[in-house]
Amino acid sequence: MLSSTGSDTGAGTRQGITFPAAREKPGADNHTFLVCRTVRSGQRFEYPGNVVVMGDVHPGGEIVASGHVIVMGTLRGVVHAGAEGDEKAVVMAFRLQPTQLRIAGYITRAPDNEAQDITGEPEIARVQDEAVVIEKYQPGGEKRWLNRTMFEEEEEQNG
Amino acid sequence: MLEFLLRIFGRDTTASKKVAKERLRLVLVHDRAGVSPHLLEALKNDLISVISEYLDIDTQGLEVTLSHENDSVALVANIPILRVKRTFKTGAETSVKA
Amino acid sequence: MGEVIVITSGKGGVGKTTTTANLGTGLASLGKKVVLVDTDIGLRNLDVVMGLENRIVYDLLDVVEGRCRLKQALIKDKRLENLYLLPANQTRDKTAVSRQQMVDLMAQLREEYEFVLIDCPAGIEMGFKNAIAGAEKALVVTTPEVAAVRDADRIIGLLEAAEMEAPRLIINRLRPDMVRKGDMMDIEDMLEILAIDLIGVVPEDEYIVISTNRGEPAVLDKHSRAGQAYRNIARRLTGEEVPFLNWDAGNGIMARLRRLIGLG
Repeated sequence: MLSSTGSDTGAGTRQGITFPAAREKPGADNHTFLVCRTVRSGQRFEYPGNVVVMGDVHPGGEIVASGHVIVMGTLRGVVHAGAEGDEKAVVMAFRLQPTQLRIAGYITRAPDNEAQDITGEPEIARVQDEAVVIEKYQPGGEKRWLNRTMFEEEEEQNG
Repeated sequence: MLEFLLRIFGRDTTASKKVAKERLRLVLVHDRAGVSPHLLEALKNDLISVISEYLDIDTQGLEVTLSHENDSVALVANIPILRVKRTFKTGAETSVKA
Repeated sequence: MGEVIVITSGKGGVGKTTTTANLGTGLASLGKKVVLVDTDIGLRNLDVVMGLENRIVYDLLDVVEGRCRLKQALIKDKRLENLYLLPANQTRDKTAVSRQQMVDLMAQLREEYEFVLIDCPAGIEMGFKNAIAGAEKALVVTTPEVAAVRDADRIIGLLEAAEMEAPRLIINRLRPDMVRKGDMMDIEDMLEILAIDLIGVVPEDEYIVISTNRGEPAVLDKHSRAGQAYRNIARRLTGEEVPFLNWDAGNGIMARLRRLIGLG
């Protein structure tokens, strides 16, 4: 699998990180960037590929990825998966409570005047029938969603 | 006892708002002067022109500042004197030999 | 052509953002078309106080840098029809916009709105200079504390130097009980020191904390004392004459007792 892992060294004052070099490479969407820290208010990570956060994303923090976004912690900030238009991108988090969640051109937020139901379970958000749906994450399900593009490509090549 | 009673009835003689107001007044004298370097510059120029009639002074080394000490603000002028003039003009425009 | 009013204070934490949110909401509930502009780039909060943080897609910086149209960045309030918010960017800093960009933006906003309220960042640096650049009027917020009044004085000096219309003062978080005891500067003390016109006095009110928690400005709550004060200021901004409430009139038991025994 075409995948390289970047790792952030965590300069506190760095405010937005992009990797133009990776963007120029064709097929760069399969690259994954690993963020090994808490993403705090005012910090923004942008990456032309998948982003995995080993930590929380606080309100005011922002993750923008052209591929999938996985948060190994609580996601409370703003996240944009499939930022370059990939509607098959997904957002996954141990606790999915985003301020705002975007996948490709779709934007959702928690409804007003309604206490957010906090399940305490890992959840996954994806686009289905022109809407963002959020459901409990089930192990094994990631094969269906995370690698869908690759499988489809393989099928297309084989068939 | 009297003090206690005064306190109860809100007549504390050292009400902290008076202290606050007084401190503010002092600090603002300093701040407002600091806001306008124009004022000090104009004052400096006037001082130079007046003093120059009596003394030769080092206009480059002349310093005029406001000094904030204890409970008062003072104008401090540090004026290096080069030479005392032998002649000076009086108000009546007459020269007097010393 | 609307009025562009900047809400500023110098010192942080005296209630600029709360005041902006409440006056904007107050003006909008009087039927005015209002837009609130958060210029605290990098430390935005007006969105949270208004309860609109989850609707932000574009911000002020996206507008001035041409990534979106002004209309796209304006967030419509969830309670009032004619109230909008232009949020600040959170990932950059104050140097990201220029004075001229702010002047142009305000000129554009005033075309369409009756009131443009600018939430100014604390401090006197670039963020402050940008915030006042496009404004024609200013409201200075202070609290009855030495540090806040001192900073307000500095700000008033800078506003005057910028040749803006004479700023008006909002005294926030006044505690009438402490004023009566002589442990807090009263309104006259502050007006005497600052020598500017008063537009309103907002009493300390626990409800402000609650309303901020909820993201609902206190001005909408009939029972909030601070909300009442903000409603009055909003009406004064529209040019209406509203009498000042007398905060010094002691109505507590001690004050009545004092009067009774001839001390008050």
